[in-house]
Amino acid sequence: MKRLPQACLLLSAWLLSGCWDRTEINDLAFITGSAFDLTDNGQYLLSLQIAIPSATSGGGTGGGPQQKFFVLSATGKNANEAFEKLQKKSSRKLFTAHRSVIFVGESLGRQGMNGVLDVFVHDPRQRLRTYIMVVKGGEAREVLQSKYPFDQVPMEAVKEMEGQQSEISTNLRDFFMSSSSDGIDPVVGAIEVEPERKDSGRTGLFKLAGSGVFKETKMVGLLDGSETDGLHWAQNHMKNGRINAELPDGLGNVGILVTHAERKITADTKGERIRFELLLEGKAMLFENNSKLDISRPKNIARVERALETKAEKQVLDVLIRLQKQYGADPVGFGLFLHQNKPKQWKAMQNHWEQSFTKANIKVVVKLNVGGAGMAGPPLQWNQKEIRE
Amino acid sequence: MRRKPKSPAVLEANAAGGEESEALTAQLDRNEATFRRIFKDCADIVFRSVRMDGQERLLIVYISSLVNEQTIDDHILKPLMSKAGIHSAGTNRPEAEALKERMISAGSASISSDVNELVRQILNGQAAVLQDADSDALVVKADGTKQRSVEEPSSEPVISGPRDGFNENISTNIGLLRRRLKTPRLKMESGTIGELSRTQVVLAYIAGIATEALLAEVRARVVRIRIDGVLDSGYIEEFIEDLPYSPFPQTHSTERPDVVAAELLEGKVALLVDNTPFALLVPMTFWTGLQASEDYYVRWPIATFVRWIRFLFIFIAIFAPSLYVAVTTFHQEMIPTNLVLSIASAREAVPFPAFFEALLMEIVFEALREAGIRLPKQIGQAISIVGALVIGQAAVQAGIISAPVVIIVSITGIATFTIPRYSFASGVRLLRFPILVLAGTLGLYGIVLGFLSIVLHLGALRSFGVPYLTPLAPIQLASLKDILIRAPIWAKRHRPQATGTSNRVREPGGQQPGPHRGRRP
Repeated sequence: MKRLPQACLLLSAWLLSGCWDRTEINDLAFITGSAFDLTDNGQYLLSLQIAIPSATSGGGTGGGPQQKFFVLSATGKNANEAFEKLQKKSSRKLFTAHRSVIFVGESLGRQGMNGVLDVFVHDPRQRLRTYIMVVKGGEAREVLQSKYPFDQVPMEAVKEMEGQQSEISTNLRDFFMSSSSDGIDPVVGAIEVEPERKDSGRTGLFKLAGSGVFKETKMVGLLDGSETDGLHWAQNHMKNGRINAELPDGLGNVGILVTHAERKITADTKGERIRFELLLEGKAMLFENNSKLDISRPKNIARVERALETKAEKQVLDVLIRLQKQYGADPVGFGLFLHQNKPKQWKAMQNHWEQSFTKANIKVVVKLNVGGAGMAGPPLQWNQKEIRE
Repeated sequence: MRRKPKSPAVLEANAAGGEESEALTAQLDRNEATFRRIFKDCADIVFRSVRMDGQERLLIVYISSLVNEQTIDDHILKPLMSKAGIHSAGTNRPEAEALKERMISAGSASISSDVNELVRQILNGQAAVLQDADSDALVVKADGTKQRSVEEPSSEPVISGPRDGFNENISTNIGLLRRRLKTPRLKMESGTIGELSRTQVVLAYIAGIATEALLAEVRARVVRIRIDGVLDSGYIEEFIEDLPYSPFPQTHSTERPDVVAAELLEGKVALLVDNTPFALLVPMTFWTGLQASEDYYVRWPIATFVRWIRFLFIFIAIFAPSLYVAVTTFHQEMIPTNLVLSIASAREAVPFPAFFEALLMEIVFEALREAGIRLPKQIGQAISIVGALVIGQAAVQAGIISAPVVIIVSITGIATFTIPRYSFASGVRLLRFPILVLAGTLGLYGIVLGFLSIVLHLGALRSFGVPYLTPLAPIQLASLKDILIRAPIWAKRHRPQATGTSNRVREPGGQQPGPHRGRRP
């Protein structure tokens, strides 16, 4: 009679464990994006974009374009209360695991996001890989309401845009990591809804619009696209960045694609003033040459490189100065660098780091190596005599 | 088991069936009466009386439905009735021995005086020749039952490779085998099983390759069988299995003589059973179930690729519906967003839970498959139309079944048929249902539980002393070259470690072909 206890053991493995939480897929409401805004009376306004599955497949029987999604909104003292109100409005169980983006309105961002962030940490159904973005100059829910023609649900488009990493893309994990670390401040991508076009009669599209700089969980300022590019390189996140520069002496302009980029920080903490040097090295390919230079000549390449380096140095330095002097924020992580590489000095200045940082001297050196000249030397439209060798 | 000196007798242990032996008398009339009593009411028995030289009476007894009457006419009746009868010296009548040596022109003849033995021979399609004043009878081989021609086996078709298959006649089958292995070391131990059916069972092996231990084990298990009738090798299979409760077959049943020959060369043992084209090969391993005979007839890179396809598809065959059910009802977060929306939209109007839907479709598919086999060929086509149209399209359009389930079930169906061994594939097909139930109640956790139980079961299963997962578990590195890949034939120098221990080397090494081979100084 050894079989009976064995069978009981097996049966209990089956009955006592496991996840008895089966839900049919058509009893779920898939949240694709959320937006947090601040209402006038200081409450939070939570909006959810929910996909309508029957509209997404090609086999729809009804004629005409169907709504692919709808937006629900509710207010509450905190995110949980608002979420509960939303659940009451939905016949299906709200399912957060497929949410790809969380938007935060600019006004809420400036006021501080402490009140909405915590819900993402405690609730196991949330994904820390969800992107977080600031909506520039408007209410976050407007982004949820805009239609985007490419994807089944517009938020997938935002996810793809972020996934390309051409601009700052920050997910919740990155955000929490940098907001809780010493010596680095979070920066998140910014999105903007294009103004509505009266003639077409539909809501405008959205576009990526630089980034939002935070100190802890409070937004201190926005950067535009060009500044964000500079920050990107300074953060060592540069991938396939483009740099365009005007050549001196009115020769025309050139454009490159940086294929490999590397950042090195060196710090000099001797004396009162801290000096940082940011060495940015990059390998690039020439993509555009609107000058009469024959860039297959090494001499001309060097000339082009110099012009581009000057341009890039200025771009990066501009944004660093702005972050340092105007916002007092450090998304590049100079403090983190000290913390990791010069722990003794860091301990000494840890308590007054913010003041020290704003006074620090930052120098940017860019070294570019334009490797490929593309398919042609000089532009093909000029004849041989006009080319300057 | 104690081995008797003469090997064919080994399987005969239960042949006598406990009957008392009865000897022939010297009186033909009494003998005739005995046989007439035994074969009372058997319409197909023939007692043919012949008088030699108008004097001696001989009686030829045979069963008309089992013999070739032409043989009887040419080789028994004609010589006996011709005037040139040769009598044994001194007497006027021939002894059975003399008959055998001088008169009967049939190839196979023997002498017996035991009534039971004679009855057995007569029932085996031989003719007994009895004569007056002789207590010995001559048994002449004259069997000539109608048999199906040697055809391509329908259960194991190939594109390249030999196309002959066994038929229902055991001597034809032995011939097919013998033609492939022309060596006296190919041994055939014969015996009969079945109290009433007296089915001939032949144990075939190559002496010096098959191990004595394996042979002894097979003999012991076969001799143990007590049954009234054996109608197919499946009867034998169920008696000699190691674990009858397992869904996996532990003997490899095939209708291809080339497969039998190949496995005999690896040191396995075959059991041929009369009246069925299916031979049994033991021991069987898990990997045998995934190896087709064609693997060895096409070039090795192709065979290896196809083999990996099968490894992939056996997983699909067991787990695809369960994974679908588990993921869509428990773990929606695992599916990419666009896919989850597509699935959700397909399931929008479906009334059943995904688990029930999948179970229903799997059962319907099994029914279609079963019906496809059972139905006459003319109606089979109608069934496939009904299956494809009604189940595939109409049910989806009517919103009873969702399209993804139909896709999953068809992929699973296709996956099952990539498994070359039919009985193995049936076992795999059966496993799908418990796993589906586990997936429907516990999600991925259930699938993992199911998978673990299958692995544990396979790990514990043995076929004639050989672990079922050999050579992967226990690991035998050298033999893996016929499992994970199909190594080139010139590289397979050794027989598998599990069965070929007594004679490891198969071929000399250094046979890799190339333009310079054998020409280097």
